[in-house]
Amino acid sequence: MGVIVEHFPLYAQGFLQTLRICLFSAVGALVLGTILAGFRVSPVPPLRAVGSAWVTVFRNTPLAVVLFAVAFGLPELGVNGSYFYFGVIGLTCYTAAFVCEAVRSGINSVSAGQAEAARAIGLTFSQSLSLIVLPQALRTVVPPLGSVIIAMIKNSAIVGAFGVGGDLFAQGIQLTSAQGYAAAGVLTGVLLGYLLLTIPGGILLGVLERKVAVAR
Amino acid sequence: MRLSHLTRIAAVAATVVIAATACGGQSSSLGSSGAAPSVAQGASFPAGSTMDTLNKAQTLRLGTKFDQPLFGLKGLDGKPAGFDVEIAKIIAAKLGIPADKITYTEAPSAVREEVIEQGRVDMVAATYTINAKRKERVSFAGPYYVAGQDLMVKSDNTTITGPDSLRGANAKVCSVAGSTPSENIKKYIDPANLTLFDVYSKCADALRTGQVDVVTTDNVILTGLIENSNGAFKLVNKKFTEEPYGIGIKKGDVAFCNFINQTLKEAEADGSYKAAWDSTVGKVSPEVPPLPAVAACS
Amino acid sequence: MTTTSMIRMASVDKHFGELHVLRDINLEVESGQVVVVLGPSGSGKSTLCRTINRLEPIDSGIIEVDGKRLPEEGKALAGLRADVGMVFQSFNLFAHKTILENVTLGPLKVRKVGKAVAEKDGLALLERVGIANQKDKYPAQLSGGQQQRAAIARALAMKPKVMLFDEPTSALDPEMVQEVLDVMTTLAGEGMTMLVVTHEMGFARRAAHRVVFMSDGEIVEDASPETFFSNPTSDRAKDFLGKILTH
Repeated sequence: MGVIVEHFPLYAQGFLQTLRICLFSAVGALVLGTILAGFRVSPVPPLRAVGSAWVTVFRNTPLAVVLFAVAFGLPELGVNGSYFYFGVIGLTCYTAAFVCEAVRSGINSVSAGQAEAARAIGLTFSQSLSLIVLPQALRTVVPPLGSVIIAMIKNSAIVGAFGVGGDLFAQGIQLTSAQGYAAAGVLTGVLLGYLLLTIPGGILLGVLERKVAVAR
Repeated sequence: MRLSHLTRIAAVAATVVIAATACGGQSSSLGSSGAAPSVAQGASFPAGSTMDTLNKAQTLRLGTKFDQPLFGLKGLDGKPAGFDVEIAKIIAAKLGIPADKITYTEAPSAVREEVIEQGRVDMVAATYTINAKRKERVSFAGPYYVAGQDLMVKSDNTTITGPDSLRGANAKVCSVAGSTPSENIKKYIDPANLTLFDVYSKCADALRTGQVDVVTTDNVILTGLIENSNGAFKLVNKKFTEEPYGIGIKKGDVAFCNFINQTLKEAEADGSYKAAWDSTVGKVSPEVPPLPAVAACS
Repeated sequence: MTTTSMIRMASVDKHFGELHVLRDINLEVESGQVVVVLGPSGSGKSTLCRTINRLEPIDSGIIEVDGKRLPEEGKALAGLRADVGMVFQSFNLFAHKTILENVTLGPLKVRKVGKAVAEKDGLALLERVGIANQKDKYPAQLSGGQQQRAAIARALAMKPKVMLFDEPTSALDPEMVQEVLDVMTTLAGEGMTMLVVTHEMGFARRAAHRVVFMSDGEIVEDASPETFFSNPTSDRAKDFLGKILTH
């Protein structure tokens, strides 16, 4: 356990790196996933096709394969860039598929009459989605979305293995195998780091859930 | 009938021995046991010693890498092969245990101390660098080889000439997460330029596609990658560390440690050390290294 | 005698799978006219109402509003819908917005009027339908009758050329029906062009210029209320009226 105190700066760096990966990916996945959900319920068939293709591909592919494809596929195609962004792109694309489905189920939970009334006063499809349907979908979407984001935080440990490095889990690996500390002690620190991300995340979601529930 | 059966076995056994000595015959030392170290018959060890226990059990549980070409790489037959494994076979033979009685457990870098501490293996030979931190938890026999960290670049690269040239060239360097080389290289580069993967093959791929400029780790591992690259990569050949590879055993087992060290010395003298090298790493790096001076056991 | 048609439907057909819900519908509603559509349930009268602002697309035929063909799904259709007010059976007020926000949303987002103007006009409309004191409540806090009056105000806020009512009182408790019908009657008296799908015979007699009777997806009769109620020509209309009036 002394290792946690002894190498606190290393843990702190790892924590910040994981936080950075998660923040970028969460924002990316929430935005992209919501747009994809919009695609899936849109009246335009090609958009619907893109939405369902995305979900089919990314929801049914292991994250490690997605990350592999991004980190090694893009350079193969001549796209070079930092592994940090490759990792964020991979995690974003993957998580967006789950966000999309959570948001879509929320959209379906809003009664069809709401969208009809919105269209009847002349709102466009995207206005009706963003002003009427999504705000009401939010209430049902928050809990599943919370699970998706918490899963994403944990998944970020896999991102570290694709050249990104420096994240919480990678720092743990570095301490155990390169510096020979006992795995149990090191991983306790790693675990605490992840809990420090996920538990406040969960509390924040609870607060948000109550807030959106009141707003009606 | 029964007699002819026995005769046949004897004949086969003789052929194997002759073949083995014929191979070993290329080495200089006389009376060499060759590539297949001869199993010590009727060896006796102090009662209660690890050697005695292993000899009586007639099995040796080895922790080694399954994915390290030339040192410990699991083959199609399901058994790992490489220099680490050959060294283990020499030790097993001295314990009176035939090579086919060795059982293999995968010991990736992260769990090598654990498998020893938990008694899941009797020893670990897994490109296992001896260092003070690890010595707090396990004891090391050997070293049996001194590797050194080096750099690998694309064949047409002329700007990277050694570790000191990395910062100037703002080179992106790739290594494996949790490895000693990945710690060492931090002295020479900006941490932001360090890319870490779980295996070196990914580093090699990243080097090929231009995602990184340099791959760094122990020279022998790089040699293996270069061999597979069909001339695309080259070694910078500026060894900048000394990585003494040891045999990890239960902490404080001084008798076993001394036994292994003695075995290593004998192996160098009788040519089985050279044979182990020639049949593995030597295929890529023919020059047989001298057996390093073994450290005192503790 | 050149009265313009606000709504024109010509040879309109629509199927729901096997079901032929609209059969060769031809209907014109002149500007300022109030047309009540009657008929047994399943006769297609609600569907007819919903095709006029293309909430239901049609299979064939022509629908024009104020002389313009209904556009395909997109911005132009949204523009047309802004000019056609619609009141639903189940109110469909935006559940996450206050009554005033419900009424001002369209003007703000579609008509792009300023917030102050939208709120002033919205309040005036709520005043007109008698629920200005409820402006800051959410729909779920209002009674059905109040909600439906708010929904009418929401539609009127768009200053529509025509108002469609799709069974506006069917989901209401009996004691609340009258307050909604009163608002509609006033509206009719002010010269609003209206197409009203309803079961309220009293409203049809009092406010309608014409009664259209539908059965099995067809328009069976199209007459003045007096003629329709006193002298229906078809058996299906007689049958329908017989069932209703004996109650």
